[in-house]
Amino acid sequence: MIEQIIFYSLSLVAVGSALGVVLHRNAVHSSLFLGLSLAAVAGLYALLGADFLFGAQIMVYVSGIAVLVMFVVMLLGRASDLHLRQVNERWPWALLVCAVAAVGMLKIVGLFAAKTAQTSGYPATHAIGRLMLGEWLLPFEMISLVLLAALFGAVFFTRAENAQ
Amino acid sequence: MTLAHYMGVAAALFLIGIFGALTRRNIIGILMSIELMFNAANINLAAFNRFLHPVGVTGQTLALFVITVAAAEIVVGLALLLAIYRGTNTVYAEDYNLLKG
Amino acid sequence: MIEYAYLVALIPFAASLIMLFAAKEDPHSPAPWIGIVAMAVCLGLSLSILSAVASGSVDLPVEKNWDWFSFAASVDGKPFFHGMKVGTLIDGPAALLMVVVTLVSLMVQIYSIAYMHGDKRFKRYFAFVSFFTASMLGLVISSNLLVAFMSWELMGLASYLLIGFWFEKDGPCEAQKKAFMTTKLGDSGLYLALLFIFAKVGSFQLSQIKQFYAMGYMPAGAAVVIAIGLLFGAMGKSAQAPLFVWLPDAMEGPTPGSALIHAATMVAAGIFLVARTFFVFQAAPVVMDAAAWIGCATAFLAASMALVSYDIKRVLAFSTISQLGFMMCALGVGGYTAGLFHLTTHAFFKALLFLAAGSVIHSVHTNDMRLMGGLSRKMPVTFVTMFLATCAIAGVPYLSGAYSKDMILANVWTRNPAMFWIMLTTACMTAFYMFRLVFLTFTGADRDHEKHHHAHESPFLMTGPLVLLAFLSLVSGYVLSRNGLIHALLPKPALSAVTATPSTSHAEHAAAAPAAAHPEHQAAAAAPSHEIASASRHHGESHDGHLPGWLHYLLMAAIAGSILLSYMFYKGPDYALALAFKSNLSPLFTLLDRRWFFDDAFDALVKFCDRVAALAFWIDSNVVDRIFVDGWGLLMRIVSEISNVLDALLVDRTVDRFGGVTVGSGVLLRSLVEDGQIQEYLLYVAIAFSLAATLILIY
Repeated sequence: MIEQIIFYSLSLVAVGSALGVVLHRNAVHSSLFLGLSLAAVAGLYALLGADFLFGAQIMVYVSGIAVLVMFVVMLLGRASDLHLRQVNERWPWALLVCAVAAVGMLKIVGLFAAKTAQTSGYPATHAIGRLMLGEWLLPFEMISLVLLAALFGAVFFTRAENAQ
Repeated sequence: MTLAHYMGVAAALFLIGIFGALTRRNIIGILMSIELMFNAANINLAAFNRFLHPVGVTGQTLALFVITVAAAEIVVGLALLLAIYRGTNTVYAEDYNLLKG
Repeated sequence: MIEYAYLVALIPFAASLIMLFAAKEDPHSPAPWIGIVAMAVCLGLSLSILSAVASGSVDLPVEKNWDWFSFAASVDGKPFFHGMKVGTLIDGPAALLMVVVTLVSLMVQIYSIAYMHGDKRFKRYFAFVSFFTASMLGLVISSNLLVAFMSWELMGLASYLLIGFWFEKDGPCEAQKKAFMTTKLGDSGLYLALLFIFAKVGSFQLSQIKQFYAMGYMPAGAAVVIAIGLLFGAMGKSAQAPLFVWLPDAMEGPTPGSALIHAATMVAAGIFLVARTFFVFQAAPVVMDAAAWIGCATAFLAASMALVSYDIKRVLAFSTISQLGFMMCALGVGGYTAGLFHLTTHAFFKALLFLAAGSVIHSVHTNDMRLMGGLSRKMPVTFVTMFLATCAIAGVPYLSGAYSKDMILANVWTRNPAMFWIMLTTACMTAFYMFRLVFLTFTGADRDHEKHHHAHESPFLMTGPLVLLAFLSLVSGYVLSRNGLIHALLPKPALSAVTATPSTSHAEHAAAAPAAAHPEHQAAAAAPSHEIASASRHHGESHDGHLPGWLHYLLMAAIAGSILLSYMFYKGPDYALALAFKSNLSPLFTLLDRRWFFDDAFDALVKFCDRVAALAFWIDSNVVDRIFVDGWGLLMRIVSEISNVLDALLVDRTVDRFGGVTVGSGVLLRSLVEDGQIQEYLLYVAIAFSLAATLILIY
């Protein structure tokens, strides 16, 4: 019972703030809504029993990515833009796409309507650590390379043209 | 809660993300919508791990990877955006028509 | 010694090679003695073989073969292995002719040492003579028609080389070409015959071909073709009409060469070939009759041409042709022994005549008898020997020529009286013109004082052979016909079987007669040591080769009369009577002088062929080349032009259209999308993907 209430409220927050992200005129508001949505998703993770994922989501997404996005929005945003329409004229087509995709998705979702959790969640941190450094060592290292590349890219692209 | 619930939530987030990616004028808006899509996928992964493969943490680990990649991607994307902004002084997608021809 | 018969052909060949390559060219070279010694050795060998054959101590024929090459062929679809051989076949005719050839060649070579003295190609002459003798002997002893043919052709080559020995002058060059071409024309027939023989019999070995005929396997048509081919070859080499035109011109060569080749031996090769392959002719009686008539015509025509000739060698050349006609006629009427007998005696006295004529020419430095006369005092030996030879050729009794000529006439009489009268006339003409030659050259007063003054008798090297040959001309006839020796040496081949379809009466006649004599003849052939009596059983040889009494006397009277006539015409220094005749009968004289226009006929034929060839060439270059070659090229160009145009119009346009379609569709699609709008692109991707995914997921 409690679980259902928590679930529904969290999902409501998540979906609602997602709508806020994509519909709001104000870019800053959008980014804030994004942070909220991400946090709600973290709550869903916790509900699922993925404790480490819950923590990682908060730390990386909410306090990292969402904050970053906010920074950039404020950096690049102009006060004059705040009242401009942010949704372009192709939104009926996009709606159509979503509708079509929704049909397919709902069908798949319907397949799992009877699936319930068999076991309760358990702390996964230890297991994740084992997996990362054991069987999935290579992807783990690759991911570090990816992050390195992203760092390089970020530094490179945002470098001021000092050389000229 | 059945798996379908979680999948439904993920689906809704995903669709909203698609809508946003296709309709937002602001580049940052597009990037944010992409983040939403990533999260939807992550929810699905975690849910599958819990409901379908309770033994092991494969789904969660993969979701972790996804988070990492998403972080890297948005960093690069924002960096690119900054670079383009320096050149064109605008953040709206319809102004980025250099592919025209 | 008979098993070494092959040496007789090889020794002169080796000698000629040695002389040609090892000796230096020198007008006084001692190299010719190599050839002479070689020839003497061969003569000794041939005499021993002849004595062995004549004594009957050998089982004839003696055949010895070596394997030459072999090849596989298919006969009637079945594989068959042909083994070609080289070898010798010694029987009576071969043994006799070996002696004749080697003896005459030896005499000629000894004579030539003096005659060709100082010539700048002295040594080469002897090499050629030895080479010729080797190839003639190769023909004589060969057991194999293929090798015989090769020797035949080599003889043609030697003849060519010797006729054109003094090739700086035009006359010899033209003459050598004419000789080669004319004999080659005859050789084409011989080649055809050889092809047919091999196709039918599968072998070139004479003994096997003979067996083939004896068993009657040869179909009549092929037999006739083969016989005609062989006859044609013989006509070419032995100067029968109409292929005799080369022989008078061949006198351009050195006289001893003419003596050897164009008098005694090579021209006898055709006769010898006919005799060797007599069974072929016996199987095709039509051709044998044709041969007889050809011989008869040749004898008569040649004798007529000799009547009006003033060149001493030309007279002798015509005389040779005429005597060859006698021989061919003899063979044609079935007088095998007579023909070969005459060949032998003719070789001796004709060689003597030529050598004596050479002696005269060497002495007075001219061939023209009108510039000679009264040389009997200046050149007694030459005169006497030549006189004897003339008597022999005329048929004066008890000389060699008389025996052989009598035998021939006897055979002709029994077969065909009309032919006999023509031959009798020819014999009279022979006597007439031969004595004319002697009278003009040796008797009466000299017509050219300068030449007469410088005339002298020839050296011993020249007169020696003359004397020897004169001796042989005197006695050979008597010796050979004594005790039927000639019949023992030259037995007529028995006709064991005719062709598959016997036809004419001649065949039956010839078959019936030997059929009766067959058992005796077989015995005779198997044991050559037979008695004289068997000679009388040679039917078709007609009464031991003698004329009936009254005819014999008629012949002698006719010959005597001819000689007398000749004496009357030509005894004086100016032969006024002859000249009067000539002016009265000038058309006849022209006919004879122009050699019955045979030369002109051949010339016209050659010109005609030339025109035909020119026409063919014109057609080829203008019509065929223009239409087929150039036209084809033009057609190809047109086709390629059309193809090019089609390609440009159709194919290229189509290709361009496709490209245009692609570009157009691309442009069209692009026009749907607003340029440069990334989200627009993304939208389309999303639409497509969602549709596809949904459809897949649902279905």
